[in-house]
Amino acid sequence: MQNSFGRKKVILMFLLPAFIIYTLFVVVSVIWAGYYSLFDWSGVGDKTFLGIRNYVHLFTKDTIFWSTAAHTLVYTIICILIQVFGGLVFAIFLTRITRFRAGLQTLYYVPVVISSVAICQIFTKLLSVTPIGVINAVLSIFNPDLAFMEWISNDALSLPVAAFVEGYKYLGLYMVIFYAALIGVPKELEEAAIVDGANVVQQYLHVKIPYIRPVIVANCVLVLNGSLRSFDISYLLTKGGPGNSSELMSTYMYKQAFTSMKYGYGSAVAMAIVAICLIVGLVFRKITERGDEE
Amino acid sequence: MSRSTKKHIFAALKIIVAGVLLIFQVYPIFYVIMSSMKTTEDFRKLASYALPGSVNFSNYIKVFTTSPMVTYFKNSIIITVGVLIPLLLISFMAGFALSKIQFKGNKKVLSYFLLGLMLPFQVALIPLFTIFNKLNLLNTYPAVILPQIAFSLSYSIQLFYSFSKFLPDEIMEAAIIDGCTPFKTFFKIVFPMSTNSLLTVATMQGVFTWNDFINAYTFTRSTNMKTVTLGLNDFVGFMGTTDWGATFAAITVTVLPTFLFYFFTNKYMLGGLTAGAVKG
Repeated sequence: MQNSFGRKKVILMFLLPAFIIYTLFVVVSVIWAGYYSLFDWSGVGDKTFLGIRNYVHLFTKDTIFWSTAAHTLVYTIICILIQVFGGLVFAIFLTRITRFRAGLQTLYYVPVVISSVAICQIFTKLLSVTPIGVINAVLSIFNPDLAFMEWISNDALSLPVAAFVEGYKYLGLYMVIFYAALIGVPKELEEAAIVDGANVVQQYLHVKIPYIRPVIVANCVLVLNGSLRSFDISYLLTKGGPGNSSELMSTYMYKQAFTSMKYGYGSAVAMAIVAICLIVGLVFRKITERGDEE
Repeated sequence: MSRSTKKHIFAALKIIVAGVLLIFQVYPIFYVIMSSMKTTEDFRKLASYALPGSVNFSNYIKVFTTSPMVTYFKNSIIITVGVLIPLLLISFMAGFALSKIQFKGNKKVLSYFLLGLMLPFQVALIPLFTIFNKLNLLNTYPAVILPQIAFSLSYSIQLFYSFSKFLPDEIMEAAIIDGCTPFKTFFKIVFPMSTNSLLTVATMQGVFTWNDFINAYTFTRSTNMKTVTLGLNDFVGFMGTTDWGATFAAITVTVLPTFLFYFFTNKYMLGGLTAGAVKG
């Protein structure tokens, strides 16, 4: 097989189509954005060469960018808590039930297949104040004041609410991955733990969860990557507001370019996002690799 | 407490937890479908969590008569198919070659493709927008389809790479000995053997493409090019604050296709995730 498939021409035929499209649209685009980031440009007319002045401004004067970076960090932490911990709890629960397991798994996954536009609309209505939405209506049973609780237009809450909705949408995805990992834990390990007198909680804490540690780390990387570049929920649910309270790096970049027509500056923000994503991704990959060697 | 009472309590607890989790995950969609059948009267008089006074589909009629929903569906179908067919073909070829053929630089090429998993899609929007603008490609299908294929490649190649590891070499070797060219072996032997993997990637990427927002939002401006997701966004912007019933009907209309699709193919979608993430 190696003789027949291993020829240069064959390898090229298999790899070239993907290589060309990927390079042209993904890699060249990023490099191109790097080129734009050196200019002052509104998308039409002449570009004015600025050198690194966009970056100097971004790193020294642009306080909004740094607040969006902080928001992205908070957003990512909330998403990791919901998706990784929530997903793990859902998955552990699934392994404990005997009947309707496949059906429940299918239904628990439902939010993942709903588009962000629809999810945001649904939550806008659920969290509505006028008329009183389901969540406030239910909360007001316990405390009547909560009927008028603002969620989305409250600058202290809009960021956590957006992060919660994002976490909620993708929780099912991580549940499925954890579930597959948990049922892959060798039966002998569980039996050995039972012989040693471990109860159910101890089995999970000391045997199963340590065994699937690589999957937990891998999921953290996935959530991290997903949250660092998440866009839809903040853009659609809270519109980044009120004020800039739920603006993320990616929505800030988008608005700089396509709303304020600052293509050059928007590109500089984009490059900062790429740098942050790559650094975080590579650092995490290093940690994962070290974990695998143990 | 006797052993059997304890057992019963645990069984009951499990049912309760299963129910709570189910409500948490499924209630929003149940709420949307119920609300889509409410009349304006119902919205004014009933509590938000109440069921509709009667079953009526007038909101649905309104959605289809006041918005070009049919055009939106046509566009979404064209774009989803237009993304899936080339994407599956080229990512399968690349993933298969990277996993089955040993050559110098093999690992490097794989890492090059997987780098895309860490790159945020939004970064490419500015350059692509200006290029498409210059080439007069904005508001065309290729402007939505091509970037989507390119940015889905990393993940699809990773999945096909993991799947291909499990293909037995012997069958391909036998085909080669019988005189098949590598291309013929791939299309006549490997392709039919891999229907499960193909369906897995197709269902996952199909749902992602159908639900895409930012890509279509950036590269299309005219109404007759809009997709279902964008159409929903517009419809809500237009009707959202005044006509809740129609808004809920519009959400239901856009969500139902992915839903039905998912319930028929969930075996592949859930299977693909685990294969891609656990073994990847």
